[in-house]
Amino acid sequence: MDQKQQNVLLVVATVVLLIASWALFWPPAERITQGLDIQGGLSVILTAQETSDTAVTAAVMDRAELIVINRVNGLGVKEATVQRQGSSSLLIQIPGIDDPEEALAVLGETGRLEFVDVDSITDSATVAAIRANEPDVELTAGTYSPISVDGVALTGGVVRTASVSQNPQTAEIEVNVSMTSDGAKAWGAYTTQSIGKQVAIVLDGVVKSAPVVRSAITDGQTAISGGFTADEAKRLKTVLETGALPVSLVPEESRVVGPTLGQDSLRQGVLAGLIGLGLVCLYVLVFYRGLGLLTVGALVTFASFFLGVLAVMSRVGVFALTLPGIAGIVLTIGIAADSSILILERFREEIRMGKTVRSAANSGSKHGIFTSIDADLVTLVSAAALYFVAIGPVKGFALTLMIGILCDIGMMMLFKRPSLMLLAESVIPKAPALWGVPKPVEKAPSAKGSKGGVAGA
Amino acid sequence: MLNIDFMGNRKIMFAISAVLLAVSIGSLAVLGLEFGVEFQGGTAISVVDGGDVTTAQMTKAFEDAGIEAPNVQTTEAQGVAGFIIRTSETDPKAAAAQVAEVAAAVKLPGDAFQVTTIGPGWGANITNRALMALAISIAAILLYVSVRFEYKMSLTAVVAVVHDIAITLGIYALAGYEVTPNTIAALLTILGYSLYDTIVVFHRIKENTQHLQKQTFMQMANESINEVIVRSMNTTITSLIPVLVMLFFGGETLRDFALALSIGLFVGAYSSIGVAAPLYAIWKETEPKYAALRKKYAGA
Repeated sequence: MDQKQQNVLLVVATVVLLIASWALFWPPAERITQGLDIQGGLSVILTAQETSDTAVTAAVMDRAELIVINRVNGLGVKEATVQRQGSSSLLIQIPGIDDPEEALAVLGETGRLEFVDVDSITDSATVAAIRANEPDVELTAGTYSPISVDGVALTGGVVRTASVSQNPQTAEIEVNVSMTSDGAKAWGAYTTQSIGKQVAIVLDGVVKSAPVVRSAITDGQTAISGGFTADEAKRLKTVLETGALPVSLVPEESRVVGPTLGQDSLRQGVLAGLIGLGLVCLYVLVFYRGLGLLTVGALVTFASFFLGVLAVMSRVGVFALTLPGIAGIVLTIGIAADSSILILERFREEIRMGKTVRSAANSGSKHGIFTSIDADLVTLVSAAALYFVAIGPVKGFALTLMIGILCDIGMMMLFKRPSLMLLAESVIPKAPALWGVPKPVEKAPSAKGSKGGVAGA
Repeated sequence: MLNIDFMGNRKIMFAISAVLLAVSIGSLAVLGLEFGVEFQGGTAISVVDGGDVTTAQMTKAFEDAGIEAPNVQTTEAQGVAGFIIRTSETDPKAAAAQVAEVAAAVKLPGDAFQVTTIGPGWGANITNRALMALAISIAAILLYVSVRFEYKMSLTAVVAVVHDIAITLGIYALAGYEVTPNTIAALLTILGYSLYDTIVVFHRIKENTQHLQKQTFMQMANESINEVIVRSMNTTITSLIPVLVMLFFGGETLRDFALALSIGLFVGAYSSIGVAAPLYAIWKETEPKYAALRKKYAGA
């Protein structure tokens, strides 16, 4: 295959890819997944806190992740995602949420439920406070432990299901716990022997209620009251049913974005991108005339490839467009224009040095591409460092920047070089002025080996 | 072909850079940088469309919600007045509750508020990661340019990059702009980007070095710059256009990036020609081969 055939083939391949890209990304609003800062919603990073009792191991995180997923599902939201970040954090993203406060409460609550015999608490001041019916008495770790019968500890682990109801007598909202058979047996054995004793129902170290045992409870049904509001009771139900987190998860970074706000930002970002693209095209057309047209083609090709790749990545679920991501895209418009200009300048320069249009197109585009790739690789190194090391939203910026740079390199190889060479075959030499191509220097005497065309310093 | 005597005027360019650097370092030392909540922990609440709410009303609403001395600033995006409020709240649940209270008090819909809460330990984490990314970037670039070109190029290129970053940060300190993680990301990008220009110039110098004769290294370097200056100007302009558009039309988050990028691109374009190339040429002329050429052809 000669060079020309090869170039024709590459241009045909570009056209095919262009059509494929458009088919993939159009309409972009549906085909490109929007990140949370654009869709609106809650994005929160929860980090497991290591304590002396519990190390944050992979197994612990697996369990915590599962529980968090169940709790998110319990919120009744659609399309929420939970992802592991690093070794000890979870990123939870819930689009379009109405009540972020509620969600944060459910997600972050450790949910460690314990039934504690008040007599067994070693801290007398606390015992007195419980006896005096003070609300929300906090227990100090180490001064108490849950009731344990035959090796079965009465904790959240014995909860099978939970439901919310209103006590007809007191009108108080209660969470009814139904225990597993082991739990029911232990609870039954304990209550049979302990009539008249006070049991503290402790959630995350806080006494929710401290009822007195009036009769033996053998059916494994127990109501937890504690001045709950309906929302709190519902939350407790979810937390109890999904089980206690093996570690406490602390929100490190939380972002709440209203849905209209995100769409406004998206509109501004797209507008900025389009105006930027338009002005760059205008500039190269004015400056490079016909060759500018080639650059416009290159930019359109680049943008189409880019969006096509983003659409494919969205489809397989590895990409969501965020605002920092848009900044990365806008920046790569400049990068793509740059590489295009590098090739054109080199091409024009080689003509000025006395080469024919045809051979200038060949060697000019080759050298231009080498220079661009050098420059692209350096930017790629920075973007990769940012992507792999930094945390938070800037990752989105680094990601689009990297993809953009790769699309730029692809565009140069597939479209820019072959189409310049094809045009140089016949079209450009016919009307050099129209194409903004300079007149070659007339037979520089020793053009070879010197920097021809440069006036003496 | 242009023929501007950049190298002959290198002392002027060095002087400009020295003054800019002195001012930047001075402002960094005296005024310091204002870091966003991401670095310190706390809550940032932004309201893009503040309606008719005044700063006094907004401040009072936050005070009534139990926040002492909220930092309320006004913003403007495309003619719409809004607010950014910063508080020291590090618990997102509490922050959400406060915002709900404020929203009710100032009669704005709850979804007009964008709330970012960062825990106290997280900021240090973000800062460390950012610094690590910076260090890795610089090291990787040094290595790349050393392998691809030579170490004298890579060191002078890095000097130019440090120059760009120092001046950009200096402007941030001087103008009191807030430094966010986005600013850091933009700075890192400039690092690569400023090198873009420098590499284009170095590429040409390297090429021309192969047939250097009857000329000093400095003269050849000057010609090399002149050969690529139109291209450098055009690439700088085409890179700046989208970034500037982003600065003016892009909304708050994008503006964060665009500001650092615009300053950095501009300074970066200058430093390739004004700092990196002359430093490199001066260094190269200390090599015996080029020192001899200098003796013979200087002043020619």
